[in-house]
Amino acid sequence: MATVEIDNLHKSYGALQVVHGVSMSFQDGEFIILVGPSGCGKSTLLRMIAGLEEITAGTVSIDGTVVNNLSPKERNIAMVFQNYALYPQMTVAQNMGFSLELSKIPKAQITAMVKETAEILGLTPLLDRKPSQLSGGQRQRVAMGRAIVRDPEVFLFDEPLSNLDANLRVKMRAEIKALHQRLGSTIVYVTHDQVEAMTMADRIVVLRAGRVEQIGTPLELYDNPQNMFVAGFLGSPAMNFLAGRLAVDGSPSLVLESGETVALARRPDVGAERDVVLGVRPQDISLDPTDGTAAVVKVIEPTGADTHVLAELAGQDVTCVLSERLDLKVGDEIRLSFKTPAAHFFDLKTEARLSAGN
Amino acid sequence: MLLAPALAIYTLFAIWPLIDVFILSFQDWNGINENREWVGLRNYYHILYNDPVFWVAFRNTVIWTIMSVIFPPVLGLFLALGLNQNLIGRAPLRAIYYLPVIIAPIAVATMWRWMYDPFFGLFTQLLTNAGLAQLIPDWLGDKDVALYSIFVAYVWQSVGFSMVLFLAGLQSVDRSLIDAARIDGANRRKIFEHVTLPALRPTITIVLVLSTISSLKAFDIVYGMTGGGPAQSTQMLALWAFTQSMEIFNYGRGSAVSVVLLTITLAIVVPYMSWSQRREEDAQ
Ligand SMILES: Nc1ncnc2c1ncn2[C@@H]1O[C@H](COP(=O)(O)OP(=O)(O)OP(=O)(O)O)[C@@H](O)[C@H]1O
Ligand SMILES: [Mg+2]
Repeated sequence: MATVEIDNLHKSYGALQVVHGVSMSFQDGEFIILVGPSGCGKSTLLRMIAGLEEITAGTVSIDGTVVNNLSPKERNIAMVFQNYALYPQMTVAQNMGFSLELSKIPKAQITAMVKETAEILGLTPLLDRKPSQLSGGQRQRVAMGRAIVRDPEVFLFDEPLSNLDANLRVKMRAEIKALHQRLGSTIVYVTHDQVEAMTMADRIVVLRAGRVEQIGTPLELYDNPQNMFVAGFLGSPAMNFLAGRLAVDGSPSLVLESGETVALARRPDVGAERDVVLGVRPQDISLDPTDGTAAVVKVIEPTGADTHVLAELAGQDVTCVLSERLDLKVGDEIRLSFKTPAAHFFDLKTEARLSAGN
Repeated sequence: MLLAPALAIYTLFAIWPLIDVFILSFQDWNGINENREWVGLRNYYHILYNDPVFWVAFRNTVIWTIMSVIFPPVLGLFLALGLNQNLIGRAPLRAIYYLPVIIAPIAVATMWRWMYDPFFGLFTQLLTNAGLAQLIPDWLGDKDVALYSIFVAYVWQSVGFSMVLFLAGLQSVDRSLIDAARIDGANRRKIFEHVTLPALRPTITIVLVLSTISSLKAFDIVYGMTGGGPAQSTQMLALWAFTQSMEIFNYGRGSAVSVVLLTITLAIVVPYMSWSQRREEDAQ
């Protein structure tokens, strides 16, 4: 168990800079999730923490010690890889015991430790199998067992669930979370799946193009995204954005470029009239036959629990999640209300959040 | 059905000479005469019991083959490991090491014969300049040295072949396995032992099989450097088969030597391949 401190970390591959001065610090026992689109530098960051990738500039500290020049082994970390990276010629038990064997721990003790970990993960019946004789989920579990058996200070996960099918992913999500509670160790977990991030993390770090966009608890990020990128990245289906001009007088409303007016529940403190982007989550849009803004239904997706409707409003696509069961057809006109207190406002140019007002 | 003509032609050109050699080994023929006389096992009896050169060639072929499955593959593996690193100029270096493979063996033989020249050759000059003139052997003229001198040239020529196969094999080594091993605390040697080497198993099998086959066939480089001399001390089975047929015009005996050679090759390669395949399946 340990704290992890990352200070002004840079990474370049030759002339190509991929991490641009990232700083963050993780508490002892925290479950941290790094999210971001493909290629944003998540793996690179994780590999620099692990010691697999050289650090171009900045420092990584574990438990207060700068580890920049320590080998992966000396950092006392364990890592679980996306493709599991199990040694194909070794049995499950040998895979799990390999790091202990390299540390010259007596055979009998290794066997006992492997057995104990296998018990926790339900791997006991598989100990003598080779990785090729296991299912994807079982391999995943062995990879976790290999990490756990060493009792490391910090666990690093690089998209460990992305090769599993949807059902198994949900199941493993819960298991990893339970395991974290049981072990109480610090976990840094990389994923591009925002659902994984929302459901598992103590705190989420949103990355874009090698920079930190925002760090916070899942609900902080969901409720108060600092910019349009974070707002659009977290939440499913993604937040709707409507660009328009915010009036200062009268009841709060947004005038879209097409001239349509969208009524609002509140408006941010902006002083004067200005161009903004309104962000509303699909779940916060409702039907309002009298006051709503007109839109035409393009796609209807009933999920059972609720109905996802994609509608066209003044030339823009708007997704809404409606909990009522509706008798709608494609081409129908509906009236959508954006009068929710959960509306977000962003600057049109900087995409930064505008402070809330009334 | 459409394959039938192709198969027939293939059989004619590929299989027929084999069958013909097999038949010839039971006959007496000088290569010109229309008659081939059946002599049963007499050719085999002669080469096995009355032909001392055959046994010299046999012994040399065994020594040569053992050296061939050790030196070029091991050197090739080390070259491949070195040239698989991220170093500048590795592409031209790879090309340079592979170059000898594509030079005709007979040209290699000529080149090396110059280098081994007892008066003007490169090695003689080098040793003379180093003040070691008294240590200079007659590279190709001393019957205790000649075989090994030729073998050095053979290594020079064939090491690139093993290297290229190993380089290809190294591309199949899973990067994340190396990462996992580093996290587990493995040093370079342990990574080689537990990640690289297991991943190279299939390549090793191929390299060893091909090295064995090509060493048993070793002919042109010996032919070009010593022709089997001095005093048959560098005679090899493949060369002896050729000499018997093409120079002594005893096609029957030459064919019998060929058949023996083929038998030895199959007797080594087939069991080895089935053994390594079984091991491969066990490893899965
Ligand atoms: N060895 C390398 N040489 C050059 N560029 C690299 C190297 N490794 C990664 N990159 C680049 O660095 C950037 C970040 O890569 P990284 O693997 O960290 O992305 P990621 O966020 O993990 O993406 P993904 O979700 O697809 O795994 C990418 O633009 C990638 O092309
Ligand atoms: Mg990645």
